[in-house]
Formats: sequence, C-alpha cells, structure tokens
Amino acid sequence: MVPAVAVLAAFLLYPIGYSLWLSFHEWSGYTPTWGPFVGIANYLALARDEVFWKATWNSLVFVIVRTPLEVGLGFLLAILLNRKMPARALLRTLFFVPVVMSLIVVTIIFQRIYEPNTGLLNAMLRGIGLGALAHPWLGDAVTALPAVIAVSVWKNVGFSLVILLAGLQSLPQDVIDAGRVDGANAWQLTTRVIAPLMRPILALTGLLSIIGGLKVFDLVFIMTRGGPTYSTEVLATMLYRQAFELNEMGVASAIAVILVALVLGTARLQTLLVSERDEARA
Amino acid sequence: MTDRSPRKGSADGGRPSMTRRGLLHLGLASAAATLLPRVRRASAQIGGAQPQTPATPAGELTNPAEFKAPRVKASAPTTLSFWQYVGFHVTAQKFIAEEYKKRFDPNLSLEITAYPGLNEQRVGVKTALAAQSPTPDIIAIEPGAYAVDVYTNGSVIDFTKVFAEDREYQRGFWPNALELLTINGAVVSVPAVTNTVIVYYNKGIFAQHGIEVPQTLDDLKKAGAILNAKGIAPIVYPAGQDRNFPIFPFYTYAGGTKADRLLREADLGTKPWTSPELVAAAEFVDMMAKSGLYAKGPLGIKEPDAISIFAGGKSAMFWGGQWMRRSIRAALPPGFELGLFPFPAVVSGGHRPVLSSVGITLTVNARSKRPDLAFEMIKALTGAWGKIEYTRNLGLSPNGPISPEAIAYQMQSLKDPLYPEFLKLQPTGTTRVIFTPQVEEALTQGMQAIFAGQKTPRAAMETVEAASQKLGVRKFKVG
Repeated sequence: MVPAVAVLAAFLLYPIGYSLWLSFHEWSGYTPTWGPFVGIANYLALARDEVFWKATWNSLVFVIVRTPLEVGLGFLLAILLNRKMPARALLRTLFFVPVVMSLIVVTIIFQRIYEPNTGLLNAMLRGIGLGALAHPWLGDAVTALPAVIAVSVWKNVGFSLVILLAGLQSLPQDVIDAGRVDGANAWQLTTRVIAPLMRPILALTGLLSIIGGLKVFDLVFIMTRGGPTYSTEVLATMLYRQAFELNEMGVASAIAVILVALVLGTARLQTLLVSERDEARA
Repeated sequence: MTDRSPRKGSADGGRPSMTRRGLLHLGLASAAATLLPRVRRASAQIGGAQPQTPATPAGELTNPAEFKAPRVKASAPTTLSFWQYVGFHVTAQKFIAEEYKKRFDPNLSLEITAYPGLNEQRVGVKTALAAQSPTPDIIAIEPGAYAVDVYTNGSVIDFTKVFAEDREYQRGFWPNALELLTINGAVVSVPAVTNTVIVYYNKGIFAQHGIEVPQTLDDLKKAGAILNAKGIAPIVYPAGQDRNFPIFPFYTYAGGTKADRLLREADLGTKPWTSPELVAAAEFVDMMAKSGLYAKGPLGIKEPDAISIFAGGKSAMFWGGQWMRRSIRAALPPGFELGLFPFPAVVSGGHRPVLSSVGITLTVNARSKRPDLAFEMIKALTGAWGKIEYTRNLGLSPNGPISPEAIAYQMQSLKDPLYPEFLKLQPTGTTRVIFTPQVEEALTQGMQAIFAGQKTPRAAMETVEAASQKLGVRKFKVG
C-alpha cells in the first residue's frame, strides 16, 4: 500500500498541488524561482479574457458533439458487428485501424483531404456536381472546428466500438432470447433490452470520450494550432500558448487547474446521473 | 520557419548534373550578378552585396576561406551538447564540427539534438534553463521574442567578450543581422544563415500565357486576371502554416513603404499600431485577401499543400521562403522551370520588398560548464570558413559577405541557379521579426481576422495596439 501511495503522491498529487500553487504566482518559466505571489489575479485575468471563454466554449462543443457521435456510432457498429455476417472479423479490424494509427499520420492525411484547392473532399464534391459546397474546411472559422471534430470521431470510434462490442458479448443471452420469445422486434430489442443492459458500459465509454474530448490538444494543435481566429482554440491549446509562447506559466497553470476541475466535475456528474437512474430503476 | 523536406541523397534536390566548366561559369556569373560597390548598412534590412568577382578559377575548387584555429582547446575528452530545431541543418553542422575536431581539437565533440520543430525545442530548452541545467551548452534560438526571453532572464551569455577578442569574427556578419539580435546593447546570438521570402514562379505557365515577371502591384493583378481566366490560381500562399505566415503580406507592405522602422517602434511600444502607415499595411492585407490573387482558402493551406499545388501546375506562383527551396525542388516534375522574383512594388515608385531575416541563431547557455569551448564551436560553425560550408549544402544565404570564389566553390556542389538569385535579393530585404510575444500573437490573430473577413483593417490594428498598450513600457531595448 505504501509504495502505491508514494507513487500516487509523487506523480499525481504533487504535480496537481504544484500546478495549483503555481497558478497563484507569476512566472515566465525561464528562471529557477517563481515570480511574486499574485493571489487569484491569474484567474481574474482569464475571466476577463475573451479567448479563454472562446476556448472553454470550444472545448465544451468538442465534447458535446464528439461524444454522442463517437459512442452512438460505436454502439451501432458494435450491434452490427456482433451479428453473424460475412467478413465480420475483417470489418472489426478495419474499424479499429484508425485507433492504432499515428495521430501525426492521421492529421496529415486529413489536412490533405481538407485542402481547399486539390483536397480529396472538395474534389469529390466537385466530381458529384456539388462544387458549390467545396470549401476551405480548416481555413474557415465556421467549419474548422466541425472538421477537426469529424477527424476525432473517425479516429476514436473504433475504440468505443471495441469496448461496446466486448460489452455486448458479455450480455446474458437468455434475457435477449426471452425478449425475442416475447415478440420484440430488432428495434425494440435494441432499445428496450440491450441498451439498458449496456448502460454501465455505455456510461464508461461516454466518460472516456468526454475526458478525452476535454483534454484534446494534439489533434487541434497539429491541424489548426487553434486557428483561424481562435475558432478551434480549446483549453489545452490555450494552456500551451500561454505557457510556451506567451511565457505566462501562472496563467497556464490556472487553465490547467480549471481543466482538471472541469474533467473531474464532469466525470463526477456523469457518475451521479448514472447511479441515480440505476437506483431509480432498482 | 523550417524546411520539413526529408534529406535527399543528393545536395541538388535531384536536378540534372552539370559539367564542372558549367558550374564554374554559373558560379562566376552568379557572383558577378551580386556585385555592388560596397556592403551597405541599411537599418532594418538583412544582408548586403557580395563583394567583387575574382579571376576565373581553375581546377577543383576548395573553400577559399581560412578555417581559423580556436583560442582554447579541450584538455580532456569533452562533449558539447547543442539543441536545435531544424533537422535539415544537422549534416552541415556535423560536417563542420567533425572538421574542427580533426583539424584543431581531437578532444572536442559536438552532440546535436534536432527537435522536430521550434515549439518542441523551445519547451525542452525552457525546462532545461528553468532547472539551471548545464545542458545544452549551445542553444539555437530564433530572433525576436525567443532571444529576448532567454537573454532578459539571464539564461544565456552574450557575445560582448567574444567580439571584443575577435573583431574580425564580428565583422564577418551582416551588421544589420547582428542588430536584429542585439538586446539591451549586447549581441545575444549569432546567425548561422540568413533567408528571404520571395515569389517562386512557374516559368512555363508565364511563357505559355505571355505573362512577364510583375514589377508592380498592377502588373501582378493583371497577371492574376489572366491566370484566373485560364483556371489557374495566381499565387498559392500557405497562410495556415504557422503563426508567422499570416503576417507576411503586412510585413511586405511595411517593407515596401519603408515603414519597417515604424513597425519595430510599434513592436517596442513607442509608436502606435494604429499609425496611418501600419493601418495602410493592414489594408493591403485586406486588399490582397479579396483580390482573387490567392489560391482558395489560404488560411487552410500549409506548406506541403502549397508545394503540391504549385508543383502540380495548379498555381503559377508560390509566395514562400528561401528555406523551402529544397522541398519545392524535390516536388517539381521533370521539365518544370522554376524562377523567383521579389514581390512587386506595393506603391508607385516604391522598391520591391523582400522579407528577410536571420535563420537559426546560436547562443551559449549561461550554466554551460565549458562556455569557452561552446563559443569556439559557434565560431567554427558561423565563422569565415564555416559559413561557406554551412550554406554550401543548404542553399541558404550566408550570415555575412562571402567572396565570389566562395560562391563558385559552393556552386560546385549546390548546382542550383536559384542560389545566386537569392544572394542578389539580399540587399533589398526588410525584417520580419516581432520581439514581443503578445504583440506577435495579436498581429497573427488580427491578420487571420482580416483574411477571414471578420475584422476591418483598422479594427485589427486597434486590437494589436490594445495588446501592446496592455504590456506598458518594455523591459528591453533592441539594437
């Protein structure tokens, strides 16, 4: 027990405490000692910074759009791939391939797909007579965030699929059979029997997706660096910008603290909601 | 700014080989083309004229500069660490360090860590400096905010002592290049190379449509109209590459109207960003964005996309940097005739602005255990002999004047006729460096907003001015 606590303290509690304490100081990050204690000035500065609110909003939009798509599509695919069908194993593998692909490779591929002049997406649109829809997807503040979210969903849906497929395969077959005997059609069986039984696994998958969405950095940073005009700026990219481009380590730590609070709060809220509904059912 | 092209086996980027005689002629012709009566000092400009051409050399050429012995040597096996962020420079740096070791100091080795990009390197350096680590001994930094940060925090040693001991070494740099690296009166770092931003063009497309190299903005617009009518994008411009690219048109106008000094003063908070000259520069950005001259969606285009579009003949011109020459060359199909020209004059009777800057610059960690050896290594890399070897393989412009014999020697292996073209352009260069990170950020966002039609030029400059005013009086001076 002691080693585990020591590791936890050294690699989790201490860094969190360090960041929290740093968020009340000024520091450029170049000197061995921190600057002066500034109280909650860094938090107040963030509250007055419209980019912070934009980044917070974008982070929330990222989660609100991504999680239902990722979990929903994953669940649908899991149900389909749980049935006997030709090339089932191959399809399962193919859907999981994006998960194991290097993120750098994925972003480069999608940057080329989204490129406005010779990109595959616009070329396809022009090819099928929808040239009017051709667009600078990553270069337009309106479409940049949805374009990045789409890549995130594509990259991660296979992960949800695998977890949900494992969950489906562990469901008690007799309950499902009983539903069939009672005359439930496929839709009723899915929504009234399978989905309720899958609730804990769906909740877990959703939680993982939410946490991943709130923390997203690499995908956004590589594809758009938070631009154009902060349209894809999320909390993690703002944190990086403050820490390493603007040398405001205190402000960056304040963002980190807020991000941790947001992740923990969301996770707790979801756990409460799921357990309350389960208790209500019981 | 980095060249992300993979290192190719040949130094010429795959161009057909030339005869030695042809190379000599090309080298001498290029040297002659760079003639100007003297090296002029022009504030806010990088570079200058290369000196007089010599008699025709004969036989195999060698580096004509003397590789000077160091003043101090390692008394025991010593390894200096060097952290930089441009992978394609490593071979040139290694070559010079090996020669240094072989000729002068067998005990001294250079261990180069090439981070994948500036961001990654900066994070690593920042962490090391905050921890007061003696590693790295030598640090590559960018001019502007990075130099200010490391120097004002006491993290690096300036070149005051080195220059006092070796005036000849100091004279080897373009004075205005050093001026750009002078913070609070001390030279913080020295450039390995200099580079320019110009317009590459497809000579074949120009010839096919009867287009001359544009001298003025009106010429450029006329060329744009012809190309657009033929379904060819006039200029591909990768404004989505990084935080610096969206500002290039702004810098170009400022340089073309000789407002670059004002730009520097605004950066340092002594003049407003809402000055009429700078608002006019923002209006130029707006005009260019709406002119139809750019390939669609410049904010969504990165360097590799732009290269692909240009190499594929879908655009006739490419507004980019000298550091991209190798990547562009590597992407061109056979028969593609590549040319370059400085951006046309932005005002009637004005000069043609070429954005110019120092490239990777080198400094010494204040905690280095052997700063004396680190300075000697930097002198080897950037001194008279080293600068010729360094730029010989890279095709970037040297950090100071080199002789025509040196250019001829470089062309022996470089072979690219664009190299001397770049050297010719140096004297017209204007700076493109911002020293205040918050101002640079506001300027980047402001330019993006103009591109996206979200802000008027004046509103964008008011935002930049607000960011500048928020910082108050700067704690540093430049030059």
